[in-house]
Amino acid sequence: MPPQQLFGIFKAMTDILNAFPTTIPEALKRAAVDFPDRGIGIFDGRGRRFERRTYPQFLESATETAARIATLGLQPREPVIIALPTSWEWLDAWWGVLLSGHWPVAASGAGAIAASESQFDKVNAIMGKLKCRRVISSPGFRQQALEHGHHWAQDRVLTLEEIGQLTPQPGFRPIKGKSEETAFLQLTSGSTGIPRAVMISHLGALHNAVASSNAIGIPQGAPAHQWAQSMVSWLPLYHDMGLIGCLMLPITTGLDAWLLRPPTFLARPKLWLEQLGCHGTTFVPSPNFGYQLAVERIRPGQLDGVDLSNWKAALTGAEMIRPETVNAFCDAFGPYGFDPRAFMPCYGLAEATLAVTFDTRGEGVRTLPKPLGTDTGYGLTEIVSNGGPIDSTEVVIRAPNGRDLDQGHIGEVCIKGPGVFDGYYLDEQATSATLSDGWFQTGDLGFLTDGELYLTGRTKDVLIVHGNNLMPDELERLADRVTGGGGLMRSAAFSIATGAQGEQAVLVVETAQTEVESLERLEQEIRSQIGRQIGLPLADVVFVKRGRIPRTSSGKMQRAEIRQSYIDGNL
Amino acid sequence: MTMKETALAVIAKVSGKDPEALVPDAELVANLGMDSAKALELLVELEDQLEIEILDEDAAKLNTVGDILAFVDRLSS
Repeated sequence: MPPQQLFGIFKAMTDILNAFPTTIPEALKRAAVDFPDRGIGIFDGRGRRFERRTYPQFLESATETAARIATLGLQPREPVIIALPTSWEWLDAWWGVLLSGHWPVAASGAGAIAASESQFDKVNAIMGKLKCRRVISSPGFRQQALEHGHHWAQDRVLTLEEIGQLTPQPGFRPIKGKSEETAFLQLTSGSTGIPRAVMISHLGALHNAVASSNAIGIPQGAPAHQWAQSMVSWLPLYHDMGLIGCLMLPITTGLDAWLLRPPTFLARPKLWLEQLGCHGTTFVPSPNFGYQLAVERIRPGQLDGVDLSNWKAALTGAEMIRPETVNAFCDAFGPYGFDPRAFMPCYGLAEATLAVTFDTRGEGVRTLPKPLGTDTGYGLTEIVSNGGPIDSTEVVIRAPNGRDLDQGHIGEVCIKGPGVFDGYYLDEQATSATLSDGWFQTGDLGFLTDGELYLTGRTKDVLIVHGNNLMPDELERLADRVTGGGGLMRSAAFSIATGAQGEQAVLVVETAQTEVESLERLEQEIRSQIGRQIGLPLADVVFVKRGRIPRTSSGKMQRAEIRQSYIDGNL
Repeated sequence: MTMKETALAVIAKVSGKDPEALVPDAELVANLGMDSAKALELLVELEDQLEIEILDEDAAKLNTVGDILAFVDRLSS
């Protein structure tokens, strides 16, 4: 190991020991005291205006909201769902719930177009699963939920305006929290279509934020003129990369952060890079999809006058990193000063709080050719290095029999460290299936070479489209509702990937129908259901004879096999 | 061009579909292959080209080409 790297590790460890706030309330308090001029700016829905609050202002308004939430009569540690778009309302609600001794649970807000029944079904299902009674959201959410027949919304949905009218609890003091205790719940997709709630401790969240900033090279509390000046993000705050990477990280390091709503970015990707240029931004995280969208949608000349040369860390993670995207992005934005070495691959997941590995070499994206005889199934010919584990975190590759594999061999990625979650809340079965002795089985496949992690695929059936995780069941249920499978699973959903587009959804449906006309009608209805409920266009719908979808002897559908047949053209 | 014609031109441009495909029943996601990014691009283009503002509550009800045309109709009447 080069001496410089050793020094880096030593420095990181002493930094953590000396400067590490151990609870989330303490972290926000420190930000207010140590970085009184810095803060967070949040753009409105169209990305035209922003409201910036400094860390002391942020602390003050969150504490006020907490003093009001404290009068609601919630049980200690009762989960409260937050379903709002990225806004100061979101931050006040999330922090207000946490500072009053309850567990915030961020859920995705209403879709920007074609909001659907399934949104309200989902929030209702989460409430049932987590045994919680309150959703903090907007008046529009309540009204639409009621229009869709969700009567619970009348009493259970609270708006920030209503909370603002409550009398604050006299003499209220925010909780101090204990570092090892659960601080909040983070939703991640679950196998039944109902999300699982990952329990994250104060320590896990802060360790991950601090270790990530060390890996990226953001000095703790650096003066504003040093390289870590600011961050711009469009990532949703209900996603781990948004919540930890774009909120906890700025708070623990005292960065200035600028937040765009995801829909705003999707509608106008150019705003993202414009903001980056105008704040001299140095640090930006995004899944591959964000970089791809910028390449496809920003036309030559549209960024004239924008300077991207301050951009030191372009994090890319949360889905498969595609070398085609990276190259196209460098070609398109090199003329604006973008340095290809800024690309920093990383790997993480909600069950690890966020980050597991970072490529800290500062050489941009590095790849190895796809190992001979392996089919990643994700259209990859080169595999990207995600770098090595962050501080105090271990990564091993395991065979299906639980044995650790040597370097270069593909197996399941297993992780251990302070950021690894405490379990899925009220879901002992899912917890014990994946977590034992502090080791979490990620369900991702990959190999290690020279201590660096390379991802090749996954064992779990999740589809990751545009950085969003979708369980196949969600699509299959909707399709089965259309075909009237009578409760039997008659369809299989999986993703394929070709070129830079990333993953796209394919649905295979068993049917006894053979007439072209009725099949066309069926396809239209299935596409329509999935389009309306999930907002996802299907790349392909294939009809097969009954019994064609392979199952195990216990009746479990084998999606990997049908997917392979589809790719091989054998359907 | 009327507002409706402009709206149709915008839908055709953003979706990349032939104008003949833009029947009133055509659904944005299912038939025109729009994902959430495309759908939002459409909203913003409609706002810019028609010089209107579409509130999120209204946008949430736009599922089909017909929905958009009816929405534009209400604005211009």
